[in-house]
Amino acid sequence: MTQRISKSKRFWMQNPVWQFIKFIWLGLKVMLIVAGGHGSTRSKEYQKS
Amino acid sequence: MAKIVVLGAGISGHVAASHLRRKLSKDHQVVVVSPNSNYQWIPSNIWVGIGRMKSKEILFPLAPLYKKKKIDFIQAKATTFYPEGDATENSPYVLVEHVSENQRGTAEKVTYDYLINATGPKLNFEATEGLIPGKNKTHSVCTYTHADPTWKALKALIEEMKQGKKVKILIGTGHGKATCQGAAFEYILNVEQELRRHKVRDKAEITWISNEYRLGDFGMDGMLLTYGSNTMKSSEMVEMVFEDRNINWILGAGVNKIEDGVAHYENLEGEHKSETFDFAMLIPAFSGHGFKAFDKNNNEITDKLFKGFMLVDADYTSKPYEEWTAQDWPETYQNPSYKNIFAPGIAFAPPHSISKPRKSKNGTEIFPSPPRTGMPSGITAKLVADNIIDTIKKRKNSLDHKGSMANMGAACIASAGFGSFSGNGISITTFPIVPDYKKYPETQGRKLGKTFGEIGLAGHWLKLMLHYVFMYKAKMKPFWWLLPE
Repeated sequence: MTQRISKSKRFWMQNPVWQFIKFIWLGLKVMLIVAGGHGSTRSKEYQKS
Repeated sequence: MAKIVVLGAGISGHVAASHLRRKLSKDHQVVVVSPNSNYQWIPSNIWVGIGRMKSKEILFPLAPLYKKKKIDFIQAKATTFYPEGDATENSPYVLVEHVSENQRGTAEKVTYDYLINATGPKLNFEATEGLIPGKNKTHSVCTYTHADPTWKALKALIEEMKQGKKVKILIGTGHGKATCQGAAFEYILNVEQELRRHKVRDKAEITWISNEYRLGDFGMDGMLLTYGSNTMKSSEMVEMVFEDRNINWILGAGVNKIEDGVAHYENLEGEHKSETFDFAMLIPAFSGHGFKAFDKNNNEITDKLFKGFMLVDADYTSKPYEEWTAQDWPETYQNPSYKNIFAPGIAFAPPHSISKPRKSKNGTEIFPSPPRTGMPSGITAKLVADNIIDTIKKRKNSLDHKGSMANMGAACIASAGFGSFSGNGISITTFPIVPDYKKYPETQGRKLGKTFGEIGLAGHWLKLMLHYVFMYKAKMKPFWWLLPE
C-alpha cells in the first residue's frame, strides 16, 4: 500500500462540516454544468465560438 | 390524435414517456412497451451488490404508475420493425411478443405515428465464453436481479475471510470492447471499503482488470481535469486512489474466456494471460438486440434502421481517429430513413468510439466502447420527446431541440464507499462528454473548470441524494418535471 492521500487531506475529505459545505458547492456546480444546456455542434454559432 | 410508442422503460424510455404524457393532451396516446415490469434506478445497483441497499429500494412497478398517469403499458419485447406497415396493415408498426404471465408468447402489432426506440443495450454476456452471472465465480451488478445474488456471494466470501481464508477479487470489464467502466470502478471501491468495514481487508488481493489503455479512461478517452488548485489527468487521479487503497490493476486487457475462478485475457502486446480469482464482477459487452426490419413488401431493410444499434443522424463515415470530429455525433437522434423514428440513450449507434481504438499485436480490438448511460440517456430522451411534442403541436416537422454529446456536460458521481460519515465519493464532471479537440485544443478537448474532480464524503452524500431525487422524479411525484435529467 502506498499512502498517496495524506492524513490531513484525508481528514478534510471525511470532515462532515467541511464536506457539508462541499456538498452544497458540488450540488450547485453539478447543477450548473448539467442544466447549463446542451446543443448542436453543427450550427454556425457553435463553430464560430 | 397521435400515437407515440416508446420501446423500453429504462432511464431513457421512462424519461421520454413521462415528458410526452405531461406535455401532450390526453387526445394523444403514449404507449410504453417493455419486457420489464419494474423501473430500476440502475446507478444504485452497485450498493445492492454490497448489501448496503435492498433491491426494493431501487425499483418500483411500472404498471400502476402508468395506469395512474394514463400511459398505456404493454409488457412485451419488440422483435421486428415494419416502418412502412405491411400488406395488411397500412400504419407503421412494431411486432412485439408479450412476456407477462397471462399473455406469454402472444404476438401483437403495435402501430405508431412516432416511435422512440429506447431499448438500451443487450447485456451480451455470451460474447465472452463462460461469463455468466452467478457461474464460474463471476457476478454482475448490471441489474437488480444480478446485484442481489452478487451480494449473497460476496457476503459468503466475507464470512470465509473472517475464518482466515485469503482471497483474490477481480473487478472490471469482461470483454475487449466493453463499456460502463464507471460502474465497475464504483463497485471495486465499494467492495474495498466494505472489506475494511468487516475488518478483512488484509485477507484480500483486489485487482482492477480493464480494456482501458490508461486508468481513468472511462470510455471517454480520459480527461484533463481540475482537482483543487491542480490540473491533472484522470489517469493520475484514479492511480492515486487505487494506490492509496492498495488496488492492483491490469490494463489493455481483452477478457475472452472465463473458467471456474480463472479469467483468460489477451493484452495489447498480443500475450495471452490469465488471472485467478475467488470472486469477480466483470461488465459484459453491450450489443444491439438483433432486431430485424422489413418494408411494406416484406423485403428486409434492417440495414436502413440498424448497425448493431439504431442508425440516427450521426456521421457514420469510416475514418481514422485523427479525423474524428465533434460534428460526427448525432444531435436529434432521428433515423435518417424514417423521420418518425428516434433512438435516444444507449439505443443509438455511435459513429465511433470516444477512446482511441487500439488493437493487440494479433489484431484483436481492445478498447472501451463509448458510454451513453445515465445523464446523457435522460437528456437525449427529453430532447427527442420535445421534438415530437413540437411536431405534433405545430403540425410541422420540428427538430429545434438538439443535444450532441460533444456539446453536453455530464456528471459522474462515483460512489467510492457507502456510509453516512465513512462514505466517500469521487465526483467527476466532464464538459463536453465527447472531447472537441478543435474547440479546446490545449485541454485535451474539454473545458477546464467544467471538467473537474473532487474526492470526499460530499460525493457520497451527493450520489445518495441523486438516488432519492431521481426515484422521486421517476415516480412522477408533484413537480417531478422541475428536476433536470
